[in-house]
Parts: sequence; structure tokens; C-alpha cells
Amino acid sequence: MHMADALLAPAVAATMYVASGAAAGVSITKLRKDDEPQKLPTMAVTAALVFAGQMINYTIPGTGSSGHMCGGMMLSALLGPYAGFLSMIVILAIQCLFFADGGLLALGANIWNMAFYGCFVGYFLIWKPIIHSKWFGEGRSAVRKRIIAASIIGCVLTLQLGAFSVVLETSLSGITELPFGAFMALMQPIHLAIGLIEGLITAAVLCFVFESRPELLRDVDETGIALDAKRSLKTTVAILAIVAVVVGGGLSLFASGNPDGLEWALFGNADGGYSTNMGLDEENFGVSSQAAETAESIQEKTSFLPDYAFTDSDSPVGTSVSGIVGGAMVAGVAILICCAGGFFRRKKRA
Amino acid sequence: MEKALSELGQMDELAVMESPIHDLNAAAKLLSTIVYIITVMSFDKYDLSGLLPMVLVPVLMYQIAGIPVHTCFYKLRIVLPLVMAVGLFNPFFDRAIMLKIGTVGISGGVISMITLMLKGVLCLMASFLLVATTPFDSICAALRKMHLPRTLVTLLLLTYRYVGVMTQELAIMTDAYHLRAPGQKGIHVSAWGSFLGQLLLRSMDRAQELYSSMLLRGYHQHFHYAPGKPFRAKDAAFLILSCLCFILLRHINVAELLGSLIVR
Amino acid sequence: MIEFDNVSFEYEKGKPVISGMSFRIEDGEAVGLIGANGAGKSTIMKLLLGLVYCEGHVLIDGTEVSKDSLHHIRQKLGFVLQNSDNQMFMPTVYEDMMFAPLNYMVSREEAEKRVDAVLARLGLEDMKYKYNHKISGGEKRMAAIATILAMEPEAILMDEPTSALDPYNRRLVINTIRELEQTKIITSHDLDMIYDTCERVILISDGKIVADGRAEDILRNKELLEANHMELPLSFCAR
Repeated sequence: MHMADALLAPAVAATMYVASGAAAGVSITKLRKDDEPQKLPTMAVTAALVFAGQMINYTIPGTGSSGHMCGGMMLSALLGPYAGFLSMIVILAIQCLFFADGGLLALGANIWNMAFYGCFVGYFLIWKPIIHSKWFGEGRSAVRKRIIAASIIGCVLTLQLGAFSVVLETSLSGITELPFGAFMALMQPIHLAIGLIEGLITAAVLCFVFESRPELLRDVDETGIALDAKRSLKTTVAILAIVAVVVGGGLSLFASGNPDGLEWALFGNADGGYSTNMGLDEENFGVSSQAAETAESIQEKTSFLPDYAFTDSDSPVGTSVSGIVGGAMVAGVAILICCAGGFFRRKKRA
Repeated sequence: MEKALSELGQMDELAVMESPIHDLNAAAKLLSTIVYIITVMSFDKYDLSGLLPMVLVPVLMYQIAGIPVHTCFYKLRIVLPLVMAVGLFNPFFDRAIMLKIGTVGISGGVISMITLMLKGVLCLMASFLLVATTPFDSICAALRKMHLPRTLVTLLLLTYRYVGVMTQELAIMTDAYHLRAPGQKGIHVSAWGSFLGQLLLRSMDRAQELYSSMLLRGYHQHFHYAPGKPFRAKDAAFLILSCLCFILLRHINVAELLGSLIVR
Repeated sequence: MIEFDNVSFEYEKGKPVISGMSFRIEDGEAVGLIGANGAGKSTIMKLLLGLVYCEGHVLIDGTEVSKDSLHHIRQKLGFVLQNSDNQMFMPTVYEDMMFAPLNYMVSREEAEKRVDAVLARLGLEDMKYKYNHKISGGEKRMAAIATILAMEPEAILMDEPTSALDPYNRRLVINTIRELEQTKIITSHDLDMIYDTCERVILISDGKIVADGRAEDILRNKELLEANHMELPLSFCAR
């Protein structure tokens, strides 16, 4: 999932740097409040371990192929979201510099796609609520099952988010002719499979830790019982819904800047028969359905910039201006998400 | 895994060679590399002719640094797949003929695909050059001078130090596993958890010992870094000149200029 | 002067690791701490360094090891870890050697001087700018000792300083240890090395001192050693 420099326009890359930088800033501040000096060696050694662990081949039963792990979810379950996020940044930076896995310019985006979702979404919205929930009943074996559930759901979800971001960032950069929908149809299913395998590996490792040294895991005490929760699963579902609405809303805004209306149809017009068109038949689609017409009229009102210069190469200026504005909007969403995160943290502390 | 180790070792060896490029301040090189990558990426997706002259910069730098250009091509195996996956579709979706060579028409999609791949290669060449001519701790020192948070830079240094140690340990474990499990390609599902888990537990103890050894030598608040090479006039000159050069190449289509000398 | 006065310690309730231990080590002495695996050698080191706290009194130059005196005490003690990788966490040998002096507020120039002096003394000048992840096990051990010497401690504690070294490097380390004039406490199962470097030996078993005396006497006592999971040093064995 590492994006190369070539897949990103500078404006998008810069935006992603800003977003990831903000998250890193929050993490560092949080870490300093904790016992930073004591945590640094653990973070470093664990990060190095995950780095090496990514190279292990895990045989997938029943197939000839093998899977790998990425580690965001595992790191946050072991170190907590903030330390986990910083450790992931370091892993990605070293991979980018020494193994050309990802690029210097794309590092910000890669951090966002892999570390941010894995650590923050994975921890706050998946790991913590599930571990503290009453799923599977009481006792150690229930906690064990919750760990498995959290690992699998967390990895699948965060990888889906990551893959989606890759599609979004690449499309916003105007790199590919592949329509947004088709690109997504390519990326998401692949990452569903990858996420599932990664989830199983993560679950296996975390269960091993749970059996031998439960106190190393977040939100679990030495006897292997989940610590008391302060927030219920219901609140989490509500937060997830809000995030979905905010992200969805933000996405439809972007889509309005695009020329073919396909993306718009995808996000603003789910009942417009998107699935039957599969996003490949650009010519016919969007004209026949009434909903799409409505969509188009809204699109005309909301698109305050000329469309991305897709085929006429003599207006690169237009591309970059809309690129920058689009990037700024991602930053807006990112800041919103950070604010939301900050709000909930403060609420939690109170 | 041994391959990764030797790759890491090879980079270290390249980084401590001596050349005018190696001698430059890490911050100057880092900034120049970033400007270069941004310049490359800012080319229009059909502007293959404008992009081509950008190849000259890294090629020239590799020569000055005394590093064969092909050393970085091995790394392309990681970068190219996703770039290719994205670029390969362009010829199918963008079929307008943009260029005619004799009777063969070349569509916009083909040009944009080639441009995209070239961009991928150029960006890789530039970042490889940076790492191949700059020791990692110098990069960290540069990052610290550029006011990256101390926590992050320290973590980067410490992690880099232990990447080798952990990779070696895992390589030994992998060997031990395969010696007792002949014919298996990877780790069997029954050992998924314990294989990495065992090492994880040991690592936690190692981290504790590491922390003790830091404490015992008076560690309290922060690391003292090696000062690194100072930022001299020639570093500033390199930075300004290289950036100027990139901007010129961005705005003057050297390839077309050269071409127009020949073709009218 | 290092003093243990009726020290007891347990990690888990009811399972004492050290019980009622007392001994005294004078300045400049070289003491070998020997005993079977799990006898409590490492714990004694940890107690001295203030990494764990105990019942009874551990005194360094008359100061009790406690949270308040840690900074002061640790400056006097240098600890060479068994695993040099855990000791050498900085990128290069040079930076690792600078780590402790700079933390103890020695000026950079002064620290540089110390580093160069130590390297010259151990004959390691060409290792100064080498990377810690690129040097061999033997070099790493010597570098770890150099790291500690750059601290200029009054006493040096060593945990298995000759483990996993080839005979040449082992001899190099032994000779280095012999030339150090500081107080030395060395734990090891390598009794030949202990015999070569220490004049006094403390033998412990199950957290108690079984024997404390001249190295010559204890290391030649076959019955005593064998009762404690050890064998006569090779150099004493009849051929």
C-alpha cells in the first residue's frame, strides 16, 4: 500500500504532510505528558521488531500464497495510539529512505494512510470499545475472543480506509485516467483480503501476548481482565456514524470538482444505479437517471472551479489551482478530524 | 531477510564514501532533493518532453558522487508495481491521438503512462542519491536542525539502531524454523502467534535493559546529538544553484529547444 | 567502598532472591561474584545500581542507595552489560562514549578529550567513527568497556564480560580489565577469567554467601565449586 512519489501531486502531498504532521504533533504532546523517557526505548525496539516482522512470510492455510503484516493495529494495542503512531512514522520513514518503499514526498500520505487509521481509528474506535465491551460475556476467554474480534475488524477497517485514501489521493492528484469508481473497485476488494489476513496474524500475535504477558496489552490488566471502560460501545457507533457523515460530505464536495460526474454519482446519488454501470460506461451514465440530473444541477452550483484539466493539456494552471484548493479542503477535513479527536479526549479526561 | 540486512549495509557503505556530494551538508541535500521531487511531480502529465531533461540532474550527481546509476534500479521493484498498476490504464481511457510518428499515432494515454513511470523512476533516483551520500545520523541531525521534534528524531535514531539487531534475530529464528520445517514456504498457521510473539516478549525485556543502560549513564531528559557538519557557504551555494537549475528546467523545455534546432 | 548490610530482596512475595546478605568491598579491590544460574548475581548488581530497592542497606562510599542519591551514586558506578547491543544504542562508538559525560554535564571539549584518551589507552583509535551495528562482537565488547571508562567511574561492574568472545578477544578483554585500577566487581561463569582478574571471590547460592575469600582458595576448592554447579578452572586441572 506504500504510495510512490509519482502518484501524488505536490499540493496533495503537502496537504497530507500537514495532516500527518498535526497528528504527530498531538501524539508528541501526549507522549511528553506520559513518561516519555521511559517509553522511548520500548517504542524503538518494538518499532524495529515490527519493521523486521513485516518481512516474515506467513503461509495462508489452503493456499500456496503467503501474507504479511503491517503493524499499525498491533503497535497501538501494545503501545497505545500515540506512541504507536510515532513508531509507525519512524518505520515508514526508514522504509522510505532505505528501501525506497514509498517516497520522500509521499511519506506524509503514507503516514496518513497506514499509521493514522491503524493507530487512531484502530485504537479509539475499534480496540478500546471492543475490549471494554460485554461481547462474548465475562472472563479471560471472552477477553481473548474480543482481542481476536478487535484485531480482525480493526485491520480490515483501517486497511479499507487506507486503500480508499490511496484512491482518493491519486485521483485528486490527477495522475490516473482510471475513473474513481473503477479504481476503487480494484483497490478495495484486494485490501479486504489483505486486511483479513493481517487481522488474523495480528490476532494470533496479540493472543500469544495475552496468554503469556497480558499486562503488556492496552486496556487489559495482569490477570487478563479488561479494565473498566469510560465510554460505551453505543457512543462509539455514534462517533463512527458522525465520522462517516463528515467524510462522506467532504468527499462529495471533492467529487463536485470532477468532470465526469461519476464520483458525484457514487457519493451523492447512491440510488442512481451506480453498481450496474460499474463506473466504466461514462457516456451513458449520469444522463439517463433523473437523480443524476438533479445531481448535475447541484454540481454546477457547487463547483466553483473549472474542472480538472484532464484532456486539454494547455491549461495546467487550472489543474494546479484546483489541486491546491482541493488539497486545502483535505486539510480542512483533517483538521476537523483532529478537532473531533481532541474534543473526545478532553471529554474523556473530564 | 538477510537480503534486507545486506541492502541496509550496502547503503551504509555508500554513505560513508567520499566525494563532493558526500561532503555537502545533509540539510542542503535534503532540501534540494525535496525541491527536485516537487519539480518533477509538477510537470504536466503529458509533458514528457519537458520532463526528460530532468533526468540529467540525478545522472550528473551520481557521477560526481561516484555511485553507479544502476545501483538504485534494484529498488525499483518495490516502487514500480503500484505506479504501473495506476498508469497502465491510461492508454485504455485516453485514446485521443496526440502525436504522429510517420503513420503510427501515439495516444495521450500512452504519453501520460510513460511520463508517470518516468516520474516514478526520477523520484526514486533522487531519494536514493540522498540516502546513498548521507549517513543516517547526519540526516537525523539535519532534521533536528530543521526543528523536527526531539522525540521523533531520537526515536528515529534509536529505531534505526535496532532495526539491524531485530532483523538479525528474526533471520536466525526464521532459519531455525525452516531447518525443522523443511519444504514450508512461510510460517505455518499454528505458529503465527508464537513466532513473532516470542520475540516480542523478549524485545520488551530488551527494551527494559536498554532503558536501564541509558539511566545508568545519566540519561534524564534528552539525547545530545553529534553536531554534524556545519552549514557552509558552499552548501548554500549548492542549494540555491540546484534549485535554480530545477526551476529553469521546469520552465524552459530544453528537449524541445534542442529538437527545434534540428527539426523545423 | 561498597557495603551490603543485611540485605534481603524478593521479586515475588515468599520467594526471596537475596536473604540477609552482608559484605564489604574496599576501594581498588577486584572481586569476582560467582554462583549458579539464578543464584542472585544479577540482582546484586541491580541493587548496587539502584535499579531495584531492597530491605536492609546498600551503601556506596557511605551513602545509602535510594531514589534521592541515585544521580550521585550512578555517576560513581559504571556497568558493562552482558549484551553490548543493549549498551550501545547510539549510531557510532564515538557518540556512545560521549553519551554519559554529556549527561553528567561535562563540557563537549572535555568529553572529547576523555573519549580520545580512553580510545588511545585501549588501542581503539580507529574505531572512533565506526557504526555500532557494523562492528564485530569482540569490537563491540571493547567499545562497551570504553563507553563506561569515558564516564570515569570510581567502580566498574561487569556482567559476563567474556561471554561469546573468541579466545583472542577474550584475552584482550581480560588484559584490559587487569589494567583498570578502579574497584571492580565481575560476575561470570568463566572462572579462568575470574582467576586472572580478581584477587577475591564471593560465591553465592540461593541468595546467600557460601564462601568469601581469596580467589586462590575458593577457585581451587573442587568440592565447594562442584556443590555449586561449577567446575575447577581449566588452568588448575591436572593434565
